[in-house]
Amino acid sequence: MSQIFPIDTVGHDSDVVFDNIGMTFGTKTGVTQAVANVSGVIPEGKFVSVIGPSGCGKSTLLDMVGGLLKPTKGTVSINGETVTGPRRDTAMVFQEDSTLHWRTVLDNVAFGLEVKGVPKADRYESARRMIELVGLSGFEDHRPGQLSGGMKQRVAIARALAMEPRVLLMDEPFGALDQQTRQFIGRELLRIWEKTRNRVLFITHDIQEAVYLSDEVWVMSARPSVVKEVVTIDLPRPRPEGTHTLPRFRELEDHLWELVKVEAEKTLGPGARLA
Amino acid sequence: MKVIEKSPTVQERRKAALVPRASLVRWAIIVAIVAVLEFTTRTGMVSQSLMVPPSEILIRLAEIVPTDRFGQDVARTLTTILVSFTIGLVLGVPLGIFLWRVPAAGRILEPFIVTGYAMPTLLFYPVLLAVMGLNAGPIIVIAASMSLIPIALTTMVALNAIKPILHKLANSVSASPRQYYLKVLFPAATPLIFPGVKLGFIYAVIGTVAMEFILASQGVGFRAGFYYRELNTADMWAYIAVVIVLSVLVNGVLTWLEKRIRRDML
Repeated sequence: MSQIFPIDTVGHDSDVVFDNIGMTFGTKTGVTQAVANVSGVIPEGKFVSVIGPSGCGKSTLLDMVGGLLKPTKGTVSINGETVTGPRRDTAMVFQEDSTLHWRTVLDNVAFGLEVKGVPKADRYESARRMIELVGLSGFEDHRPGQLSGGMKQRVAIARALAMEPRVLLMDEPFGALDQQTRQFIGRELLRIWEKTRNRVLFITHDIQEAVYLSDEVWVMSARPSVVKEVVTIDLPRPRPEGTHTLPRFRELEDHLWELVKVEAEKTLGPGARLA
Repeated sequence: MKVIEKSPTVQERRKAALVPRASLVRWAIIVAIVAVLEFTTRTGMVSQSLMVPPSEILIRLAEIVPTDRFGQDVARTLTTILVSFTIGLVLGVPLGIFLWRVPAAGRILEPFIVTGYAMPTLLFYPVLLAVMGLNAGPIIVIAASMSLIPIALTTMVALNAIKPILHKLANSVSASPRQYYLKVLFPAATPLIFPGVKLGFIYAVIGTVAMEFILASQGVGFRAGFYYRELNTADMWAYIAVVIVLSVLVNGVLTWLEKRIRRDML
């Protein structure tokens, strides 16, 4: 069912490898160790989710792969190269609305390619393909102000996918959406991912979402965090509508909840008990 | 279900009907004011040394407008306004960016700027006249510095209001600083900066006309002041009417521009 830490960190050259990384922040009251020690590999074509209690450094982990933060210890490498800053082969989707409100959907989706210097005709062609993929055909000339929250997140996903990233980094991308939209767009993401098969690092605090989407779920401990356990999600793909009701799905969900519960209780302080 | 669908349409219809009615009322108010002025001045309720009947102002305007001197005055005033505003924009926007980029400088300089905002800058006009002479120079200095302050302040406020996520996004796609400024920062801030730019323009107009009124050799404001001192009420009002028309036109253009920017950018 699960692999107990330490896990094998010898990945292939093309993999995303975390090698003993740690992150320490200097704060006014002293030094906070956000991430103690994380090692792991995101293999080619795999969807990896990270869950854990609030403030355990999940987003920190993601920002380090995206090159927005430098680990204070250890290295993250992609394709055998150490990440030293934002790379052209990673793309990020954030929890907050990150659409550019003065641009049309088409120009929003093409934004990453535009920055990369891709010629107009080429970037519009890719953008149109991605817009179709995320199901926003017909909205090319709309502006974000005319779209719902779920549609804006699809624009953000299309923008990230248009860059054809080696690694897609998603930081609670559905966190700000309502439950129904969230489930719907989760299914959509899976449908898209089946076609693209990028590596995905997906941060969430929703266990069900993590099980449904992923090949592997990394459970992080409370601060200072380590990867407590890597749970392999051995549900068959593609995963149709009824997947949530499979007994195996429930088992995995329960197991992950047990793991997260212990950590969440630690975060919430002594005496806190979760049902 | 039907009721829910129907009620907004009724409201919309009412709203649509209200728009021409509102502008109709607005025109009616203007006509009424002109009529009252005409009546009170003609009947002597208002002394003709204070105000002449609008019809006479119109007649004077018809005589004044075709003259060369009028063309020169308007040209002088408009160029002074434009030059002052351009200086305000060219200095104000970078100053706003600086205050945003260097928050410490912002904190130190803000009281000065806010004081500058509240201070009647025109008091420096005589000094400037003594130093620079009786030409457009001193007027431009005053009008530009009046115009610069709201532009700089709103630029700073607008840049501060930009969501940090946009910075993170630009960073994540490896945007260069130039790309960050041109493709993200400025477009994001423009709709918020625009009210300050508009205010800056209005300040440039006020500054220019007021300084001309006090002392100048040419310009619409100068002419109004000149006739005021000569007790030539009709001509004074003719020039005041010119200033009013000018302000309305400029404000109309700016409002139209603002609406366009808001439509395209928000």
